Amino acid sequence: MNTYDPKGNVARLKGISAELRKSTLTLIHQAGDGHPGPALSIADLVTALYFGEMRVDPNNPKWEDRDRFLLSKGHACTVLYAALAKLGFFSEDLLKGFRSLGSILQGHPVMDKIPGVDMTTGTLGHGLSVGAGMAAAGRLGKKDYRVYVILGDGEINEGIVWEGAQVTANLRLSNLTAFLDLNGFQSGGTTNEVSGIDRIAVAEKFRAFGWNTIDIDGHDYDQILASIAAAKRETDRPTLVVAHTIKGKGVPFMENNNAWHKGVPTKDQLAEAIKALEAA
Amino acid sequence: MNTKTIASTREAAADAILEAALKDPKVVFVSADSVKAARATKFAATLPDRLFEMGIAEQTAVAFAAGMASCGYKPFVMTYANFITMRACEQVRNYTGYTHLGVKLIGLNGGVHGGEREGVTHQSIEDLAILRAIPGMEIVVPADPGQTRKATFAMLDRPGPGYIRVGCGREPVLCAEDEPFVFDKLHVMRKTGSDAVVFAIGPVLRNVLEAAERLEREGIGITVVDLHTLKPLDSDGVKDLIATAKTVITVEDHNIIGGLGSAVAEVMAESGSGKRLTRLGLQDVFGVSGEGNALLDHFGMSAETIAETVKRALASLDS
Repeated sequence: MNTYDPKGNVARLKGISAELRKSTLTLIHQAGDGHPGPALSIADLVTALYFGEMRVDPNNPKWEDRDRFLLSKGHACTVLYAALAKLGFFSEDLLKGFRSLGSILQGHPVMDKIPGVDMTTGTLGHGLSVGAGMAAAGRLGKKDYRVYVILGDGEINEGIVWEGAQVTANLRLSNLTAFLDLNGFQSGGTTNEVSGIDRIAVAEKFRAFGWNTIDIDGHDYDQILASIAAAKRETDRPTLVVAHTIKGKGVPFMENNNAWHKGVPTKDQLAEAIKALEAA
Repeated sequence: MNTKTIASTREAAADAILEAALKDPKVVFVSADSVKAARATKFAATLPDRLFEMGIAEQTAVAFAAGMASCGYKPFVMTYANFITMRACEQVRNYTGYTHLGVKLIGLNGGVHGGEREGVTHQSIEDLAILRAIPGMEIVVPADPGQTRKATFAMLDRPGPGYIRVGCGREPVLCAEDEPFVFDKLHVMRKTGSDAVVFAIGPVLRNVLEAAERLEREGIGITVVDLHTLKPLDSDGVKDLIATAKTVITVEDHNIIGGLGSAVAEVMAESGSGKRLTRLGLQDVFGVSGEGNALLDHFGMSAETIAETVKRALASLDS
């Protein structure tokens, strides 16, 4: 009935993430627009969640007991769209319409228009505050679903993130797990240059708000799955998984190259990227 | 009708929410440390599990409510109108408007009368203009506490996002208890004639009704219309009333740009009515601190000014 797979094995997940990365780059190439670096950065987190953990049903996208996912850094949506298509929420043929008139695949995620998207996002900073509402709804309704949020590291410049951090901890919403995609870059440069985000202090800040925090390699499936499991054992506080990631991960010429924050691979670059992903 | 009685639109809304919540387990209250201001202490005491306290964080209050609404709940966010419509404007637009989620917003301190002594930061005079520009947003400014209660229930029955503007908590009672409230249908409160039609919203309707009495004594008959549902606007009803009147006046405790006056102007222009419109309200200026009724007088919305405005508008037709 659903794709829930509590024993998601690492080799399978790695294979899926390579497919999602290829889809991401292909649809950005076709659209002539998009954010490849931010999407590749979270491809393993999205894969682990959707193909190794989350309880969802592509035949019943609005299933009320499903786990919820919020892509707070909505500009990385190509990898989410690729995952939802691969799971069967909608046809993979639709991917090529990304960002074009008449396509359901809007420039940023939209609930209702896109099957499987649990919440409209795109304006940065909203994952925790909206997710807290979903988590509170789950607790009030005595549901056992969980809420997963992926935040960008640049994104946490937004003030509402800290409102959300406070409320989520104050309401003791242990059914919410947030991943911080700590790739060290934001639109204008490194996070350190642009906004002074320190990679260590960020976890301390969340702990000070009352969160459980876990540091992981955001491309290591054992660590990702272990962090999800650890978060589920918490009973009275939300968990922030600080995922150390590489922007552009999986495509050597995009890795740690912020020119690919927003950019479109040429035909040759796409071929080179796919070759690298298939060789890995 | 007893125009001398004072009651609270805030309390009427909060009591209606509690009443609805006692019947419907999906109704919840989201507070931005606004329980006391919203007169929702009864809700907090009666249904503590259904009250979600965000602290002074209006953006999160709206976003949180959207999250709950996406899971099938019917959240009310009730706090100061300025902070809902300006501080949390983006959240209202993207997470309730764009998502079509049934988040119900109740804004306190509508207008200079609603924000009175607090001054400009707490007087909402742009809320209606801002929300009118958001696709799909429904907006109601009830005439009085009894109508507020009915409007709250009516809004709860609507599937999408909506906004109800309430006041300081000392509003005139203008309608009989059994006076119905019909969502998106204008309400003719008094008709002494068709020399002028006066469209108005909220507590300032008291002054319009008093103006009607003054004018009647002078042989001038007007139609006083409570155009409570600003969006979707009862355009057909507005057009019909305009067609039979010699001149048109709007009175709103709001900037004259973007609110009731603009909404009526749009209908008049597009229908080619050819009638003249005079807009009373804040003439693109900020308010000041003061007692609510004194502020309405100060900003040109007294019964006397309204009556004079009608007479001037009629006189200009003869010249």
